[in-house]
Amino acid sequence: MNKYIPTIGIEVHVELKTATKIFSNSINGYGQMANSLTNVVDLGYPGTLPTLNKEVINLAIKAATVLNCKIRKEMHFDRKNYFYPDIPKNYQITQNETPIGYDGYVEITINGEKKKIEIEEMHIEEDTCKSTHRSSKTLLDFNRAGVPLIEIVTKPCISSGEEAKLYLEKLRELLYYCDISDCKIEEGSMRADANVSIRKNEQDPLGTKCEIKNIGSISNVAISIDKEIKNQIELIENNKQIKQQTKRYDDKLGKNILMRTKETGNDYRYFPEPDIPYVILTEDMIASVVKTIPMLPDERRKVYQAKGVSELNANKLVQNRSLSDYFNKLLDTNINFKIASNILLGDIQAYLNKNEKQISDTTLTVTRFEELVKNVEDKTLTSKNLKDILVTVLEEESSISTIIKKSGIENIQDDQALRTIINSIISSNQETVNDYKNGHDRAIKFFMGQIMKETKGSANPKLAMDILLEELKK
Amino acid sequence: MEDKLTKEEVLHVAQLARINIDEDELETYQIELKKLLNEVEKISAVKGYDDEKLIASWDRKTELREDIAGEMLDPKEVINNAPRHSGNYIEVPVVIGDES
Repeated sequence: MNKYIPTIGIEVHVELKTATKIFSNSINGYGQMANSLTNVVDLGYPGTLPTLNKEVINLAIKAATVLNCKIRKEMHFDRKNYFYPDIPKNYQITQNETPIGYDGYVEITINGEKKKIEIEEMHIEEDTCKSTHRSSKTLLDFNRAGVPLIEIVTKPCISSGEEAKLYLEKLRELLYYCDISDCKIEEGSMRADANVSIRKNEQDPLGTKCEIKNIGSISNVAISIDKEIKNQIELIENNKQIKQQTKRYDDKLGKNILMRTKETGNDYRYFPEPDIPYVILTEDMIASVVKTIPMLPDERRKVYQAKGVSELNANKLVQNRSLSDYFNKLLDTNINFKIASNILLGDIQAYLNKNEKQISDTTLTVTRFEELVKNVEDKTLTSKNLKDILVTVLEEESSISTIIKKSGIENIQDDQALRTIINSIISSNQETVNDYKNGHDRAIKFFMGQIMKETKGSANPKLAMDILLEELKK
Repeated sequence: MEDKLTKEEVLHVAQLARINIDEDELETYQIELKKLLNEVEKISAVKGYDDEKLIASWDRKTELREDIAGEMLDPKEVINNAPRHSGNYIEVPVVIGDES
């Protein structure tokens, strides 16, 4: 296996999150009744003309920026010609010659090392209609026709299925955080194709490539690429020729299956789209879009860890954008961020998942959360207490101190009261005291259990432990 | 300069256009298509044509449209305007081998 160097390039189509389509003002929506989101432009009726959606340009500028691309300020669109029922006007409007973004990169971490996945170019185009094939007919739904897409093309610089997977995860995270796309692979709003070839030496020209199209999930991208690499090595080892082919990955069969294709390369007879004059981007336009880019996932991870959050929790927070956005609002406060992240990702996330809610659906304002964290930090609330009052905290609006008082679980913070209880427990358990003095540590566990039982869990555990040790020494 | 296209070239163009050509029509297309190409090639003789690509017949830049939804077609109208339909879908002859 090590004798061969795999070379992989990835093309990703991403549907942009706009209100309307790229060249018409019909709604850009998913999951609606077939052919209910169309107008004459989407259907390619003769005499109709495209009008370019401003938001498409804005989102493409945003994407190009977060993918570290250079942005082309003067560009045009091209027609890609082919006859196929998914595009009745017989050409797709795309950017062949002047892609809006070029020469970018996405950084991944593989086996502890950083690697830049280079982006060749990123262009804007329209989606085609959705075809569903039956045994005797093909059914067309034009709701998808004219949905704006960006296509992101990497250089052939990826060396394994794992790298491809990490790249796609990073890409999805960036685009999702910037509200560029929903990036739902299962709904087709992010679709990946991989070009795979192998060669023996770095100096050799690239081998004959095989394209795997429309892979349905990120993990399947890694699987299908690795299978294709293995297949190509076997062919070469058996002195067989690799043919340039297009395949698709069949999840159920677990293998890549040969596909018949539309035209390739020159057969598309690209030429400039005469119905859309030059698109000119000004510095002001670009600057006003760049301003709207939120703190990116990698930076969030860094900031959280600098505030004392563990790497694991920092990653978990970033995986949940609404929790991460909420956490960002706390960054200027001086709470204990480690405790805050534990509470958010523990009991609160469990509540949110169970009730299918977002943090913004609860009554937990940033100020109340700060109060909650402080109460946990100074041990006014034990983790058990927190569980007891959590639903009230998340569903009612009164202050945390009021909730603690009302629920009667206010921890016994009073040194003297607790000391009396502890002394009474010690005096009625002399045998255990002897055990402790003979070095049996489990005696402490027993005493703490008794203290919690006696105080119905309301003793501040740290205070109780301190007093207990003090009294046992006497 | 050849005065006609090869048979293969004609068949390739026919394939791209998804039309069938009978064997006895081939010769005519080899000649006719070449004549058309020769006419088009005269354009490249125009001085300065290659300097700048002609995108549109005026030099104004594209006006961008605000992202606001407008009126859409009634799905019934859409499917009734197609030769065949199946439920709310437009139906076309089966297209084999591609699932995009």
